[in-house]
Order: sequence, then structure tokens, then C-alpha cells
Amino acid sequence: MNSTSTNKPYITLDKISKSYSKGKKQVVVHDNFNLTINRGEFIAIMGPSGLGKSTLLHLIGGLDQPTSGNITVDNEQINNLSERKLTQWRSENIGFVFQSHHLLPVLNAKSNVELPLVLTPLNKKQRQQHAKLALKLVGMSDRAQHLPKELSGGQEQRVAIARAIVSDANILLCDEPTGNLDRGSANEILALLATLNKDFGKTIIMVTHDLNAADFATRTIHLEAYINQQSAINNEVTTS
Amino acid sequence: MNIIQLVWRNSWRKKSRAVLTCASILVAFYLFSLLSAINHAVTNSVSSSSQQRLMTTHKVSITRSLPVNYQQKMASLNSIAQVTYASWFGGFYQNEKNQLAMIAVDHPSYFDLYPQYQLTQTELSQWQRKRDGLIIGQAVADKYGWKKGDNISLSSSIWMNKAGLFDWQFTLVAIYKTKDTATSDKQLFFQHKYFDNARAYASNSASWLISQGNNNTDIDKLMENIDALFNNSAEATRTTTEQVFIKEQAQQFVDMAMVIKLVVIAVFFTLLLIVCNTMMQTNRERLNESAMMKAIGFSSSYLVQQLFLESLLLLTIGAILGCLLANISLVYIAKLFADFLPGIAISTSHYIIVTVLVFIAASVCSLVPAYTIKTLNITNTLGARA
Repeated sequence: MNSTSTNKPYITLDKISKSYSKGKKQVVVHDNFNLTINRGEFIAIMGPSGLGKSTLLHLIGGLDQPTSGNITVDNEQINNLSERKLTQWRSENIGFVFQSHHLLPVLNAKSNVELPLVLTPLNKKQRQQHAKLALKLVGMSDRAQHLPKELSGGQEQRVAIARAIVSDANILLCDEPTGNLDRGSANEILALLATLNKDFGKTIIMVTHDLNAADFATRTIHLEAYINQQSAINNEVTTS
Repeated sequence: MNIIQLVWRNSWRKKSRAVLTCASILVAFYLFSLLSAINHAVTNSVSSSSQQRLMTTHKVSITRSLPVNYQQKMASLNSIAQVTYASWFGGFYQNEKNQLAMIAVDHPSYFDLYPQYQLTQTELSQWQRKRDGLIIGQAVADKYGWKKGDNISLSSSIWMNKAGLFDWQFTLVAIYKTKDTATSDKQLFFQHKYFDNARAYASNSASWLISQGNNNTDIDKLMENIDALFNNSAEATRTTTEQVFIKEQAQQFVDMAMVIKLVVIAVFFTLLLIVCNTMMQTNRERLNESAMMKAIGFSSSYLVQQLFLESLLLLTIGAILGCLLANISLVYIAKLFADFLPGIAISTSHYIIVTVLVFIAASVCSLVPAYTIKTLNITNTLGARA
């Protein structure tokens, strides 16, 4: 697993605008949004619904394209990549953890974790070793043969995290990973993410409403305040 | 874990739906295979030489006889190599429920044109010398327990003998063997000479004449020439290849080729509807999973391939079971129709057609899901914009 951690900007969102059509209306989600994230940071993005938190995550993860502006990840500008290259880039660099874990119900925990490795040149034995290791890291070794329906919500989310880290992606994008969990399970997941960040140098960007998240993250961005602050800076620059 | 395992597990995710889909495909291919086997019997049950053998019957109806001296007249044509003749006896054993496929044949020439009925030279000579000699197939011998040398009394539903009886006496001389499964082993043959001498009426006439042209003879021309020979006679003829003759007899009951075509079309569209419906339903249910898989790096083509293989799997299972079941049924059906239509069996070409149909159906059924996957918006599917 990667353990590199430096203070160089690792992810840069440069003057990002994002809008989409809703019927005849054009909805602007982000306008000239800037953000830099260093390698090895654990960022919690918080804020009220409808402010574009998940959109931000999707843009960084290459699931969505900005209307304008540039997104650079590890010196690679991803907003210009073709669909095919972007898919490959995601498989190599990004691990996703969703609020609904989206585990395949027909596969046991180990096979679910092994899934992203099907795209790699690893052989069956190597894939199984990686999956075992990932499950061990999230404390789910003893549930490797269980189907998702035989696991609790917290356990399912742990398996989803194991799936996100199994291909040794440097960036974990977590969209409300604790949203469906009780307090105890939520804290366990946050602690697990913090461990992955501290011990394995994973850059984690987490969108959450969980107020406890700030205790685990290295930086918390309150999006509403952050956007207001940016607007003020932009206005200042324009007037001067 | 690989794509095959994933396809297998996904296919049986909803077991009852998968089983019902397979069952529908099975029924469709079962019917298709049965009809195809019957069609195969109609078109191919007789040996390839049947395309060369010509059947000459009365122009008006097959029930009307032709003079046996037509044999000499036809033999006078330069392009004719051999001519023989035969008559339908309408035989049965003891009561009319025990029908027999029994024909009187011109003993010196008949088996030269039908080498698929295998007899030793000794057996053939013995039979040719024995006026009331009878040759039967193994299935008849087994059914009635007849052995060589047995004196057998058989009846005709058509022909009365000079004694005013419909009962005829025969001596079993030989039991023929068959060259292939397409040849019936339920036939009975006896001498036309004995038939002509003993029957009370219509002697020196035959139900049909069979001829064969010389090598490289233009068959169409030869058929025309034969019929031209008797055009102005009281008993005008109609000559076709034996294959066409058999087809025509079968088509008196049903136009098999048309039925097969209609069934193929019905089967194909039923398959498309069933499997397309299943695959579209499956795809709709798994949109979240497809979006997740795309998010973690699986390409659209991988997911489409997965769906294609799932439909292919269901179709293949259904098709294999359908063909298997048809083969089992055909063992009994072939026995039932052995006298009337020998050689009912599924041909190799049928399996090729089934394979092609399965692939086409799987491809067509993957089209709509493929489009859905290709245009799937990951962010919208996984969760609303926030």
C-alpha cells in the first residue's frame, strides 16, 4: 500500500464551473470554484444539501465533467480525457465508497473486494491474496465468505471500503459513507478511514453530514462558508 | 472470480425467472427440433440415390396401375440404365391392426436399384428361385418372431387371389439388413410374378415403375422423355424423382417445409420476446450495480459483454435441453412412423441452425440493455446531484 505523504498540491480544481439542465432551466452548481488538496490529506466536506458536495466528488473522481475549468490530479488533467481513458484512470487511481455500498448481492465479501482487480493483469491467486489483505485491513477477514445479505450495514460498508482500497488507489472518494449507519458503526468507519489515511497515506475526500467527521479528518471544509469566502476573494480581485 | 463466474451467478440470481425463461426456450427449441427432424425425414430419409431414381406412376392417380410392359419400353430409351417395377399389396397379418409395408417387386431387377436393402448373393438367389418367397426386415421378424423357412399366411386389403381369398401364402426366405438408419427395417418384399399369376384381376400391371438413368444423364430431360413415351397411350404417366415423389406423398398430409418455416419464425420471435424481456428486466434491476461497476473502472463493453453472455447462457441451456428432449422423443416417434416415414432424425445442419439462432437471439436481446448501459449516467444513477 502507498505510504507517501507530501505537502505538494495533489489535486487542483481550477476555476471549475458546473451547471446542468433541469427541464428548461439551467442550474448552476459551481461557479469559478477553486480547491487544492495535498497528497495524504483527509478532507471532510460538509454543508447543507444542494450545495454541490457530491458533484464536487464526482468531478474529482472523473464521473462527471466540469462545464468549464480544469481538474488536475497528480499532474494529469483529467477533464480532457476520453471516456475510455477516464474509465481506466479511475480504475487505477480512485477508490469509491458510496452511502449505499452497492455490493453485488451474488458475490461473497471476498469476491466483491476482488471485483476491481478483474481489470488488472493480476492472476487469480494474486487477486485473492490482495482481496484477503484488504479484508484484513478493514477487519473483515472472518466474514470473507459471507454474502452481503449476511452482513450488517457497518460490515457491508467495511467491505465496500476494502473494495475501494484493494487496487491500491491513492485517492478514496467517500460519499456519505456513514449516512446509513448507527453512531457506533459510523465511528468505526470514520476511524478506519483515518487509519487508512495515517498509516497508508491515502488521500481521502469525504462528503458527509456527520458532525463527528471533523474529529477524524485532517481538514474540514464547510462548503457554504468556503464558497462565500471564495466569492469575496474573487470580488476583491475583480475590484482591485 | 472472473466474468464467467459473474455471469453464472448473475444468471441464477432470480432462480425462478431463469428457470421459467429456460423452460420457454426449451419448449420452443423442442418443437423446432421435432419438426425439423420430420422435415429431414421427408427430404433426406431416402438415400442420395433417390435423387437419381425416378418414379413413374399413372398420370391420373397413384392408385391406378400401369402395364408392366412399360418396363421394356422405358428400357429402350438410351439414357436409361435400369428399370424395375413394384405394386402395393396392402398387406396385414391376422387382422388389419397389424398393417405391413408390403410390396410385390420385379424379382430379377428390384434390388439392383435398392442396394440399401442388404442381402447376400445366396439369399437373393434363393428368393429369386422361390416363387412365393418373402423377404422381410429385421423389425418385422422380431415383432412376429418369424424365422427363415417359416410358412406365413398374410392378407391383403386390396388384392383377392384366384381362389377368391384375400389370404396369401408365403415362405420366409431372407431377412434383409439395412445400410443406414434412414432405411426402414419394416418392409416386406415378394415376387411380382407370383403376385401376377395368383391375383384374380389386373395381372401384368404395376403400381409404379422405378428407373435410373445412365451416368451424367440429364434427369429433367429423361423424365420428360419417359412421359413422352406414353403421352398418347391410354395409361399416360407422370415421372418425378423418388425424392419428390416421397415429398409429395408426405405433403398430402401437410406442407412440412411451410410448417417448419412458420415454426422457425414463431420460435425465433418468441425467443426474442422472452429473452429480451428477461434481459431488459434484469438490466433495469441492476442499473445501480452497473453504475457502480462503471465507476470503479469497468467499461461499458465489459458490462454489455456480461449481459450478452447471460442471455447466451439462458438460450444455450434452453436450446440444449430442447434438442435433448426432442432426441429422446424422436426415438419413439421414429419407431411409430418407421413404415410411413423412415429416417426421422435431427440432422447436423439443424444443430448449426440452432447455434446460429441462439447467437442471433442473444445479440438482438443485448441491444437495448447495451444502449442503456452505454448511455448510463453514473452520477444520476448512483445518487441525485447534491
